[in-house]
Amino acid sequence: MKRFLFLLLVALIAFPAALPAGTSPAQARQEQVLEIYITGLTEDTMNWFREVAFPAFEAAHPGVKCEILTGGWGDFDVTVAGWITTGEGPDIVYLGSEYAATYGDLLHNLDPYFADWEDWGQYLPAAIDTVTYDGHIRGLPLLMSPRPIFYRTDLMKGEIPLTFEDALEFYRANTILEGGAAKQWAFMDIGNDLFDAQEFIAYIWTAGGELYYEDGTSAFDSEPVAEAMQYMYDRRRIMRPTEDTAGLPPFEGTALASGLVISGIFPMWAVPPTSDPIWNNVEMAPYPAGKNGSPLIQVFIDWLSVPAYVENPELAVEFLKFIGSKDNAIALKQVAGFTPTRQDAWDEIKATDPVWAKLLDLTVEYGRAFADIRASAELRPLIFEQMTLFLTDQQSLEDTQAALKEEYDIILEEAGYLD
Amino acid sequence: MASEMRLHNLKWALLTVIFIIVSSVALGLLARLIARLRGLSETEQRKIFWGFTLAGPWIVGFFIFVLGPALASLYYSFTDYELGQKMEWVGLDNYRKMLLVYGRQGRQFNKAMLNSFYYALIGVPLQILAALIMALLLNHEVRGIRFFRMVFYMPVILAGGPAILLAWRYMLTTNGGFVNEAMRKIAGMFFIFDYLYRGFIYGMEAFNGFYAGIAQGDPIGPLKYTAPALLGALILWLLARGEWSEGKRLLAWRAAQIVGLAMFFRLASKGLMAQPVNPAWLYAAGIAALGGIAWLGWLRHPRLRLTQGALLAATIALGIAVLARRDFALGDAETQRYLLPLALTALALIGAWIGPWTARTYRLLALFGALLSILLLVRLAPGQLDGGRLEVLMRYLTFGSTLDRTDDLDYLNKVYPVQTMSSLWFYGLAIAAWLGVAGLGEAHPMARRRLAWGGAALFALFALGSFLDGRAYFQAFERLAQASGKPNYHFSLFRQAIAQFPSSDRVPLWMNSELWSKPALILITMWSSGTGMLIFLAALKNVPRELYEAAEVDGANVWQRFVKITLPMISPAMFYNIVIGMIAALQTFETIYILQTPLTLDSLQSAAYLLYARTFSELHIGEGAAMSWILVVIILTLTVLQFRFSRSWVHYEA
Repeated sequence: MKRFLFLLLVALIAFPAALPAGTSPAQARQEQVLEIYITGLTEDTMNWFREVAFPAFEAAHPGVKCEILTGGWGDFDVTVAGWITTGEGPDIVYLGSEYAATYGDLLHNLDPYFADWEDWGQYLPAAIDTVTYDGHIRGLPLLMSPRPIFYRTDLMKGEIPLTFEDALEFYRANTILEGGAAKQWAFMDIGNDLFDAQEFIAYIWTAGGELYYEDGTSAFDSEPVAEAMQYMYDRRRIMRPTEDTAGLPPFEGTALASGLVISGIFPMWAVPPTSDPIWNNVEMAPYPAGKNGSPLIQVFIDWLSVPAYVENPELAVEFLKFIGSKDNAIALKQVAGFTPTRQDAWDEIKATDPVWAKLLDLTVEYGRAFADIRASAELRPLIFEQMTLFLTDQQSLEDTQAALKEEYDIILEEAGYLD
Repeated sequence: MASEMRLHNLKWALLTVIFIIVSSVALGLLARLIARLRGLSETEQRKIFWGFTLAGPWIVGFFIFVLGPALASLYYSFTDYELGQKMEWVGLDNYRKMLLVYGRQGRQFNKAMLNSFYYALIGVPLQILAALIMALLLNHEVRGIRFFRMVFYMPVILAGGPAILLAWRYMLTTNGGFVNEAMRKIAGMFFIFDYLYRGFIYGMEAFNGFYAGIAQGDPIGPLKYTAPALLGALILWLLARGEWSEGKRLLAWRAAQIVGLAMFFRLASKGLMAQPVNPAWLYAAGIAALGGIAWLGWLRHPRLRLTQGALLAATIALGIAVLARRDFALGDAETQRYLLPLALTALALIGAWIGPWTARTYRLLALFGALLSILLLVRLAPGQLDGGRLEVLMRYLTFGSTLDRTDDLDYLNKVYPVQTMSSLWFYGLAIAAWLGVAGLGEAHPMARRRLAWGGAALFALFALGSFLDGRAYFQAFERLAQASGKPNYHFSLFRQAIAQFPSSDRVPLWMNSELWSKPALILITMWSSGTGMLIFLAALKNVPRELYEAAEVDGANVWQRFVKITLPMISPAMFYNIVIGMIAALQTFETIYILQTPLTLDSLQSAAYLLYARTFSELHIGEGAAMSWILVVIILTLTVLQFRFSRSWVHYEA
């Protein structure tokens, strides 16, 4: 038995050594591998990268070999944080809209590389804001998802509102309650809860406020924040006069097509396809504004960054310019449905799709990126906790503002955003 | 390219196999060496070598994938490790935050633990009840029984899957969802059903509203005394009644020890965590504990079992550690709030472990108790704090209100709850009385009855007084709110819930309200209690028929047969289901992950969910690790206590 074990061990040790090497040392010296990570890619999109994009890039850059990696959203934070903080990972990393503030200086400053790139002027200003941290460009905007308010013009009473006051009037006119339950709601958000943290931030902006004062501390104690909170509370009380009011009955398909909802904030993947006839009766508009603010549309931009651990960022930047070219932006829209962030790639979309044409025009006029959200992973649960107490009558507006301000300042300080 | 990848993978797979073989053989050789040093025979050595070599892959895997990461996480829990930041040693800071409810993280953890306990203490019994009912139904030989078994078990396979949970979400839609529609249909059949349905909504919302207020940290004022006083009165009343069997005495004795221990360790952890403790004292306490255990082992006291001895030593050691707090002072109000109840509980526990005593010892203890009471009354005397503690006590006992300043919201909210004495005093007193009376047992029946009746009456008076004053406390908030024209946020969900009896068109709000989110989650877990059902079914099949036949001959009815035969006979299965259910409830995760919404996240998230979010979403590894270790200790403690408690009611033999 011992002899058998010994022989087995020898054989096992010898076998891997005898295996032919995958790449010869000389070849390895010459070949530079460029790894690109993009979250949530489908097999078709992966194939497009492998069969169309990479061969073209490799042909223009001899000795370079590209590899595409993908993963799910469930472990996105852990995966990316692991790479960026340990300094080992792909050369190009995909990030969501609010991540520039999260990783900041852990990403390369790409100003020197994009300064003389003539295409840069084509990118939507909101997209450039998204990838900018501390005044420096940290990546390339890859795709965008504008979220306007959609209105069912065939069902609604009154005009599309553009102020908080008009919006509340609109909601009163278009909400139908019966027997302690909703029969029709004038508004619905993506969470179906009449509250969402991203939407709350949007209303702070439309009320003329910001999340931070100039010294970097939180501005949750400001007047515009109070106005936004009061607006969200009043809106909730119109559609749920008491917290025991039952919500809408179940519906199939999208909320917009159900006829139970008159208006709502949704991403484009949560509304009927733009070829659907329902779009003859749907209008899009920016979010209503407070007394001292102006309407806007929140835009979510996903982008590609080059982490600071990449020793030779030049090649990664070359790839960013390549994938961000007009032709590739159009191709990615066709293959993966990525809406381009550069405006010269919109011509064909605008020519063939009037819904998108309208949305893109609105985005140019009203778009504000969901960006520069500091310590966003901790801010979200804090907003959930405090706004839940406020919206369900468990805490006053003043106490909620004070708690948000105090605790977000602590978070900002611990995360190193404050001196 | 693909073939290169395959070769690469093959190489690594082979290297892994080699590593496992080499490390397993090395382990075997090490074990053999130790066997040789211990002078075992050649045959024994060979057996040990092969045993460890063949178990090697598992042992190596355990060290690398279980023990290693566990130790690493224990280390991280003492650091501020955060991805992207420099890691620094912070000692007990993370634990202090969680256990003493400091800052947002402490508050969140406290709420999450309360949610977890809700799932464990309310969800698990309901789940077990559902499993038992299903098992009893399936224990009859009727046509198609296999089909029904499959149907009842199927949710176990399906539950937890995102698709099923989303289907549940759909079914729990408040307006027109299947569950609510079914309930309304049944309620509409008969007027009594309608009252039951509305009563169900009323009761659920009132209870969950009150629970939400507690979780939110709303002060309850004098009501905080009502629960311990009622507990004391109830237990002493139970102890005062009738004759005692040995089993009943032991049950009361052990239950008191478990509750006392839980309170003692909670208080001790508070004492240790309140301020940084000099590590030298902790080492001293550790040495004292080890020395105590060794001494007990050497002494082999005939009346003291090893577990009792170990607990005794641990109690003394923890007491030393608590006393070692740097600014400990008897005159300090905060110290008195927890340290004296701690001493009271510890004394009662130590007494219980050292007992049973002789009549003379009891008389000495009675004298000691009287002296202690005088001392306590002196400590409670007027003038020490605003209002005076003795005055507070006497006013409760005579149903007089202790609220002096009902016109000051800040006083009611922040000052009053701190200046009145801690409810822990009464838990301490209740446990001490409980242990004392249970210890007396039938050896001193007259003393037991007098003590128990007297204690029960005193506690009952106090409970009533504090309840009446608690009501006044609540009314004061409402009066102040009306005077100022501002809403009253004090226990607002509870007050909204009890404001009026629900009308017939009201529906449970399930995932749309924090009043219903936890019951919704429990409903889903009850639906998937098929595993428990199977275990009960197997146990039911093993109950000998002769026992039922004999009971029938003796004239026992169905209920009596169930309580006196079935339940004791299936008690091992019950115990297993409780232990497993409790652990699973404290680790609830997937259901919350899928069903939570922004407005129900806080009311749903369990400690397991929060530690995931803190670690993997917010990337605070240190705090997440501390949370996980606290959860481990809680689960371990509860499991050990359940095992200890089980001796009184689980019967492994017919």
